[in-house]
Amino acid sequence: MKRFIFKITLFVSVFFIVEKGVYYFLHIAPDKEYDKRLENILKGNMNKELVVLGSSKGATDILAGQLEKETGLISYNLSYQGSNVVFHEFLLKTLLKYNEVPKKVILVIDIPYEFIEEKTLKFRIDRLYPLSKYNYINKELINQKEKNILSWFLCSARVNQSNFKFKNIKPPHFNPLDEYGSGPYIIEKHSKDLDYSLKKETYNIKDELPYKIKAFKSIQKLCGENSIELTFVIPPNFFDLNRRFVKRFRKLLTDENKLFVYDTVNPIYRDEKYFNDYSHLFINGAKVLTSEISDFIINSDNK
Amino acid sequence: MLFNSLDFAVFLPIVFALYWFVSLRYLKFQNLLLIIASYVFYGWWDYRFLSLIIFSSLVDYTIGLKLKNEEKALKRKLLLWASISINIGFLGFFKYYNFFVDNFVEAFSFFGSKIQANTLNIILPVGISFYTFQTLSYTIDVYKQKLEPTKDIISFLAFVSFFPQLVAGPIERATNLLPQFYKARAFHYSNAVDGCRQILWGLFKKVVIADQCAIYANLIFNNSSDYSGSTLVMGAIFFTFQIYGDFSGYSDIAIGVSRLFGFNLKQNFAFPYFSRDIAEFWRRWHISLSTWFRDYLYIPLGGSRGEIWIKIRNIFIIFIVSGFWHGANWTFIVWGFLNALYFLPLLLTKKNRYNIEIVAANTLLPSLKECIAMLMTFSIIVFAWIFFRAESIIHAISYIRNIFSSALFEAPVIRPTYLIAFLFIFMSIEWFGRKDKYALELLLLKRKRILKWGVYITLIISICVFSGEEQEFIYFQF
Repeated sequence: MKRFIFKITLFVSVFFIVEKGVYYFLHIAPDKEYDKRLENILKGNMNKELVVLGSSKGATDILAGQLEKETGLISYNLSYQGSNVVFHEFLLKTLLKYNEVPKKVILVIDIPYEFIEEKTLKFRIDRLYPLSKYNYINKELINQKEKNILSWFLCSARVNQSNFKFKNIKPPHFNPLDEYGSGPYIIEKHSKDLDYSLKKETYNIKDELPYKIKAFKSIQKLCGENSIELTFVIPPNFFDLNRRFVKRFRKLLTDENKLFVYDTVNPIYRDEKYFNDYSHLFINGAKVLTSEISDFIINSDNK
Repeated sequence: MLFNSLDFAVFLPIVFALYWFVSLRYLKFQNLLLIIASYVFYGWWDYRFLSLIIFSSLVDYTIGLKLKNEEKALKRKLLLWASISINIGFLGFFKYYNFFVDNFVEAFSFFGSKIQANTLNIILPVGISFYTFQTLSYTIDVYKQKLEPTKDIISFLAFVSFFPQLVAGPIERATNLLPQFYKARAFHYSNAVDGCRQILWGLFKKVVIADQCAIYANLIFNNSSDYSGSTLVMGAIFFTFQIYGDFSGYSDIAIGVSRLFGFNLKQNFAFPYFSRDIAEFWRRWHISLSTWFRDYLYIPLGGSRGEIWIKIRNIFIIFIVSGFWHGANWTFIVWGFLNALYFLPLLLTKKNRYNIEIVAANTLLPSLKECIAMLMTFSIIVFAWIFFRAESIIHAISYIRNIFSSALFEAPVIRPTYLIAFLFIFMSIEWFGRKDKYALELLLLKRKRILKWGVYITLIISICVFSGEEQEFIYFQF
């Protein structure tokens, strides 16, 4: 028995030392990424006056650089493709923890999927994995049940298979991130023809997911507590505005927050030349929408 | 409690220490400790169902003793049937009640009568199929006078609830496991080290192979209408490795843990995917269940004796019942039926005991003929697993129909390189260790320590990298 205990102890000790070698992969993983926005948040390099949060609609349709020029506020886009409102809440919390409080936050709404089940919108765990060397991120991965508490003690339990990359990740060809964090579609070319749809979409409150509503309310609360001016933006789709959703959405807003809805009578939002697909604008459309948002912000400030 | 959980990682060393250091010289204390540990292990999932195990154990313990004192054949038979009725009754209620009610209602509606279905919201107690068969084997063996009934209730309760194999087997026979509770256990260094090695290999199979395959198998099966034929084939192959890694991994951990406590459980998997025909596959897959059905169902039915149609009938019965044992769904029944169909040609041509030894027993690599035989057997097994994994018969049929579409020969959309590499390494290790009880048993034994430890550390690191949320074992639901 003594021999067994001794050997096990020795083996565990050797393992504990050897497995620390895995830290190398944890360490180099952030450098392989081309999108360094989240790491910059963690490093406290995201001290902006206006921040845009959202999913791909926020990333492609709103140009933070243009917002900065038009409003005079130092702006940055922190929208992530395929992210949901829970991820936006996480980003906001992280931003507030490590950076100066922004004056304004724009939250871009995924109409009508903001609060209901939608496979393409999720908590972007994959954006957290390359940064798991940071304790804050590891804690979040444990909260998300992607990692267990062993990851506090073992590098191998903290690392993920996606960390074993040897090549740098290249930016996407069609919508690379610009220096303001936006990723508009720069090549104005359709993969297929689009037909504007007038059909009225339904919206059922019963389909709403409580955890998404909770995250949404938490964003409003966080902004309220930190005196941040929160503006919700409903960008255009290449189909009619779902007014049922808008009506429902208004009920979830607290009084101090503002809602901007794109100019529904502007004919460019019915012109396929401005749309990459049914849900995302090309850069020419993004410029128009961003300009509308800038006007809205300036007008709101002047009131 | 799951073997791949942190709870178990804390639980096991505590029980180990108490077992060997505190109650070292007292066999009864050791057995009592094992009962308590087993009940804690089971109760961690749902303590309410502990009463079911205890009740089932007491019934078979009492009936066993009564059988010893009873000489009249009729009364002995009644006692046996009492045990069978109670055990199968519990199993039937918890596992099959809703299935029978639903099918009963559907059958009536087919003939135009409408009746109200009274299904219940029943929770299936984990491991009920396993411990029910284990206790039944005791009573049947006592009835057949193959086994002396025990008066030692502590040993008997420990035998039924022995935590390493309580919830997902191997289904141990009383003739093998129960006597081990009577004798003092001595700690053997080599056994303990071998047990640890087998636990490690089991965890690797579960966490790295099965759980990673599960990600892609689930993705493809749950969205099967979205994928082309070649991707669906990949989905079926991923599930094939998932179920093997999951279940044989559990068995390896169970056997390894038992060895730490001085017990020897029987081998449950013997490299089934290297089988050259389906009969060999069934001698190598879930051995404890296959032999249970062979000894307590197939042979009493007449086995392979008698007229040809009796043999055919028996084969279909054993495979269909085996399929139904896995779950209350027609998919399992069809899976069993399909395996019976595969088996039939071998039975009729008397080639069902053709391949007894492991493939390429005396050579490093298989011959071309063996390769083709293995590939064909593997292919039909993969095909049958589609029914096992599908949600319903309709789902399975549509899955198969979509496989044989024009896109069968296109490159699969889902082809995770890292996982394919892991599967290749895994199957290579399995191949080189195929002559042993588990792949790592002797493979590294005579190698230098630095190499052995290097392999062990690599395996643990792989387990840690892929361990996230604890994934249940597939066979827990059975």
